[in-house]
Amino acid sequence: MRIQDCKEKELNKLVDLQAKLVKANEKLNAVVSYCDVDAQLENYTAPTDAPLYGTPVVLKDNISTKGVRTTASSRILDNYVPFYDATVVKKLRDAGAIFTCKSAMDELGMGGTGLNAYTGKVNNPYDLERITGGSSSGSAALVAAGLSPLAIGTDTGDSIRKPAAYCGIVGVKPTYGRISRYGVIPYASSLDHVGYFTTNIQDAALALEVMAGRDDQDMTSSYEEVAPYASLLKADLKGKKIGIISNVVDAIVDPRFRPSFDAFTKKLEQQGAILEMVTFDQDLMNALLPTYFIISNAEATANHSNLDGIRFGMREPGADLTEIMINSRTKGFSSEVRKRFVIGSYSLFTENQEKIFRKAQKVRRVIVEALDDALKNYDILLAPAAGTLAPKPDESFGEDLNNTFMVAENHMLLGNFSGYPSITVPYDVVDTMPVAINLLARAFDEQTMFNVAKGIEDITGLAGMTKEDF
Amino acid sequence: MEKDKAYFRKLANQIMFDLSDEELEELKKEFEVTIRKMDLLDKINTDDVKEMVYPFEGETHFLREDVVDRVVTQEEALANAPEVREGQVLVPKVVK
Repeated sequence: MRIQDCKEKELNKLVDLQAKLVKANEKLNAVVSYCDVDAQLENYTAPTDAPLYGTPVVLKDNISTKGVRTTASSRILDNYVPFYDATVVKKLRDAGAIFTCKSAMDELGMGGTGLNAYTGKVNNPYDLERITGGSSSGSAALVAAGLSPLAIGTDTGDSIRKPAAYCGIVGVKPTYGRISRYGVIPYASSLDHVGYFTTNIQDAALALEVMAGRDDQDMTSSYEEVAPYASLLKADLKGKKIGIISNVVDAIVDPRFRPSFDAFTKKLEQQGAILEMVTFDQDLMNALLPTYFIISNAEATANHSNLDGIRFGMREPGADLTEIMINSRTKGFSSEVRKRFVIGSYSLFTENQEKIFRKAQKVRRVIVEALDDALKNYDILLAPAAGTLAPKPDESFGEDLNNTFMVAENHMLLGNFSGYPSITVPYDVVDTMPVAINLLARAFDEQTMFNVAKGIEDITGLAGMTKEDF
Repeated sequence: MEKDKAYFRKLANQIMFDLSDEELEELKKEFEVTIRKMDLLDKINTDDVKEMVYPFEGETHFLREDVVDRVVTQEEALANAPEVREGQVLVPKVVK
C-alpha cells in the first residue's frame, strides 16, 4: 500500500480497511488496541492537498495517544490512557493521517523478536510461524501485510530496521533528534529514536518531512533544518562511494545469502556505484552488543522506576506502599524485563559504575570515532540487515557469543550509538522470505540516504512489495 | 565470585520487584554469559577517552524564564490513578 493510492481514495474506504485490518489481525496478532476511525472521519478537516490526506497510519503502542489506551505491550500499563498526544501524533494528524490502531511490540521496547508482547507473539505475514523481529513488531507486520502504507515505530537497538528486514519493507531510523520523542514511552534515552515503516522510498521521504523538526518539549530535539526530502528525492548511485562492512558479510554463515547479496552488489556497481570493503576492528564489532546491553538496561532501569502502580498503571494489593510497588512491578513486568532490570541495576552500583557503565560509555565513543573515520571516505556504509531469514520462535537466537549473533545480528547498533540515519531496504526474496540491506549515512544526511535507497529500489523493483495472502 | 540466587533476589528487591526461583535460576545462568560479554569491553583501550552520554554534544536545551504554556488539570493528572480521594492519590497509611 502506498500513500499516494490512499490520498486518491474516498475517505469512507477507510472504514472497509478497518474491517479488513480486524479480520487480518486474527492471523497476525499485531494489534493491541483499535482506534475509532469513524469518530476521526466525523471530525476530519484536513484539506485534500494535505501530505497525508486520507492516509491510514499505525502507531506503535509506546506512543501516547490522547484518550486511547497506550500500554507499550506491558501488563503494568494495561489500563493506562494518556491525556495528551505525543508530538509525532499531532504532526501526523495535522498532515491528514487517520490512526487505525496501536500495534503490539516487545514489552517496553525491550526485545528484538516480537515474542515478548503482553498480547502474545506477533506473526510474520510471509510465514505466520516465523517471527517479525522487534520491538516494533506489529507496525512491521501490518505494513508488510498491505494494511497500512505507514506505521510508526521506535528504534533503540535496531527495533525498526530488523523487523523491516524480516518483513520485507522499508524501515527508517532517522538521525537522533530529528523526530521528537515527546510523549513516547522511553526505553533507553541516549539510544531511543522515533522512526517508521513504509513500502517504498518515496513514502519514506515524505513521512520524514511530515514528522521531523524541532520540538521544545523534547530536550534532545534538533534545530537542524528539515529538507523537502520527497521533492528532492532522486535515485542516485552514480559515483556514490559505498563502503560494505566486511565484518558483517563475513559473519553470515547461511549459504543462501551470499549468492543473492553478491548479485545485488554487482548490480549496484553496474549502476555506477563505487563499492569498497570496509573492515572495522573486530574487537570493536564484538563490543557492540555488550556495550548496548549495559547502556540500554541501565537507562531502562532508571526510566521505568516510575512504573509502580501508585499514580497510574495496574496496581496490585499490598499491606503498605512498599508491598504494593513490589507486587505491582512483579506482576506488571514479564520475566524477561525484570531480568534485564536487574542487570541494568547491577551495572549502576557505585562499585560497578566505573568498570561497567562508564566503561561502556567510553567504548561507545571509541566505536563512534571509528565509524566517523569510515564515513570520511564513504557517502554510505552498507551491510546485510540480518544474518538469517526471519527465524521461527524456537530458532530465535540465544544470547550466545558466536560471530553471527554478535556481529551480523547486531551491527545496526552503530546507528543508535552514533545517532546517524539508517534505513533498511528489501533487495531480494530467498526461499519465499524477504532479505534486506541496511544503509548508514552521515548525521542529518537523510537526503543522501534516501537517494541511494531509491537507486537500490529501482534496481530491485521491490517498491510497494507486500504479502497480503497469509 | 559466583553470585547465588539470594544475591539476585536482593538486587531485584532493591528495585522493587521479586523473581521466582525459576526466574532466579535463569538469571543466574544468563548472568554468567552477560559477564563474559561485558569482559569483551576490556579489550578496548579507553585510556583518556571521555564517556559518550548522548550522540550529539551540541546544546539543544536552554534555561528560560518560567512561563505557563501547558496546564494539566487535576482531573487529568488523577485520571489514571488506581485510587483517588479528595483530589489526591490514595495509598495505604504510610505513617502508622
